[in-house]
Amino acid sequence: MDWGRTQFFWAEVAQNFTRNAAMALTAIGTVAISIVVLGVFLFARSSFNLLLNNVVNKVDIAVYLKDEATPADIDTMMRQLRADPRVDNVRFVSKQEALETLRKRLAGQVNLGLINVNPLPNSFVVHTIDPGDVPPLAGELQAKPQVAFVNYGSKVTEKLLVIRRVLGTIGLGVIVLLLVATALIIYNTIRLTVFARQREITIMQLVGATNWTIRWPFVFEGLLTGLAGGLIGLLVLWPAYQTLAPKLTLNLPFLPLNLADVSVGHIALELVLVGAVVGMLASWLSVSRYLRPA
Amino acid sequence: MIVFEDVSLVYPNGVHALSNISLNVARGEFLFLVGSTGQGKSSVLKCIYREACPTSGDVVVDDWRLSTLPHGKVPFLRRKVGVVFQDFKLLRGKTVWENVAYALQVTGATSRDVARRVPRALELVGIAHKSKMFPHELSGGEQQRTAIARSLVNNPLIMLCDEPTGNLDPETSSEIMALLARINSKGTTVVVATHNQASVDRMRRRVVRLVHGRIAHDEERGRYHVGLG
Ligand SMILES: Nc1ncnc2c1ncn2[C@@H]1O[C@H](COP(=O)(O)OP(=O)(O)O)[C@@H](O)[C@H]1O
Ligand SMILES: [Mg+2]
Repeated sequence: MDWGRTQFFWAEVAQNFTRNAAMALTAIGTVAISIVVLGVFLFARSSFNLLLNNVVNKVDIAVYLKDEATPADIDTMMRQLRADPRVDNVRFVSKQEALETLRKRLAGQVNLGLINVNPLPNSFVVHTIDPGDVPPLAGELQAKPQVAFVNYGSKVTEKLLVIRRVLGTIGLGVIVLLLVATALIIYNTIRLTVFARQREITIMQLVGATNWTIRWPFVFEGLLTGLAGGLIGLLVLWPAYQTLAPKLTLNLPFLPLNLADVSVGHIALELVLVGAVVGMLASWLSVSRYLRPA
Repeated sequence: MIVFEDVSLVYPNGVHALSNISLNVARGEFLFLVGSTGQGKSSVLKCIYREACPTSGDVVVDDWRLSTLPHGKVPFLRRKVGVVFQDFKLLRGKTVWENVAYALQVTGATSRDVARRVPRALELVGIAHKSKMFPHELSGGEQQRTAIARSLVNNPLIMLCDEPTGNLDPETSSEIMALLARINSKGTTVVVATHNQASVDRMRRRVVRLVHGRIAHDEERGRYHVGLG
């Protein structure tokens, strides 16, 4: 591209902004507002997912072994569990350890000195990477001959897992709907800015401009509008997050939620991308509609 | 340069605008297209720059057969054909200078070319002193001149003018007509749709009269009204 044409292109983009300033600003403002709404929802969803995961992740499987299990059996099982790709970590709790723990917990309430045999079994505490693997893995372990019984608070855990699945699906649905709504709002706003220049587009065609010569500055303008709207949206969201997040964590200390773990940077990037991409596509589609086939 | 081969044009709403028009305009010719309003003058011009496509028949412009011209070529046809529209069709958001430059810039002209040719066109039509103004700040005659400057800035083979003196006072009208004659004398084929009787009678060029979309009369060195002299 030679310098004259590049200059012409940028001058066109700049003129579209400066000579239709009110319209351009309205479009940017509208994009910014829809990005803020989308941002709040994305953040809420991320926090909520994090919260649920934190709750569900607390679930462990306690595997109580029969007294007949030899140290060799225990060793083999330990190795098998460690090798299992679903397993995050495994801890062996010996009879003695279990008794010590119980002693400490009941200290001053019950005199365990009276007991001279240890009734507690050896056990494993297994933590899985995905909480969803807890029920099937527990079932498999229960089937082993050395295992006396397995406990993972099955009723509660299964309910939590169902809740997580349902809420996850609903959340995804809401986000998809909201994304569609945001895209439509941005599309319509930009379509109006193009519509206002329908006559100009026709004239450009009549004086011999090719469709691409007309289209590119518009597409670029759409991209910049989306980008500007997205960035302004972020400028609103960021301070709001900075001030509100700590308060939220303070006021809800019973929730196992650390808002610092929400990937805010990721969400920010998504928002700006949504603005830019939708803005560009919107311009593209709108101009193409007014570029009458000659 | 321009050939109409038995052209008929029916608009989508069913109006028969042109019926069996056959016409041959030679390179460098100056032609008046006359007829009262609604007789099809603008429609003839639209067929030349492909804003309208004949329902039957064909138009050939500088060896380009328009019925088979691909869509992608239409912009290039329009660069050969400078059009001065009845309603000027200036870009509102651009100054006089920018309006004229635009027609050049879309052809991929370098900025040096633009800087050289735009002032020349503006001076030729006598609007250079208003080059920083926007169309709404201009009088009708000044807008007309801007439109003419835009249509000739990239040296078109053909210039089409749709009622270029439509709303102008007699004095400005003759200036504009003189300007068109000057452009024609440099080799550009010029077709002017008009009902400005005075200019037509004074200039004595080829006159084609349209009545109800048909050619009623075609005369070299003609007058506005047939049989009056
Ligand atoms: N775009 C259009 N759609 C439908 N009818 C049209 C259109 N343009 C012109 N006409 C009709 O075609 C006829 C010729 O119009 P036109 O060529 O504009 O005449 P002139 O330029 O001589 O005044 C008129 O009856 C007019 O109403
Ligand atoms: Mg007309």
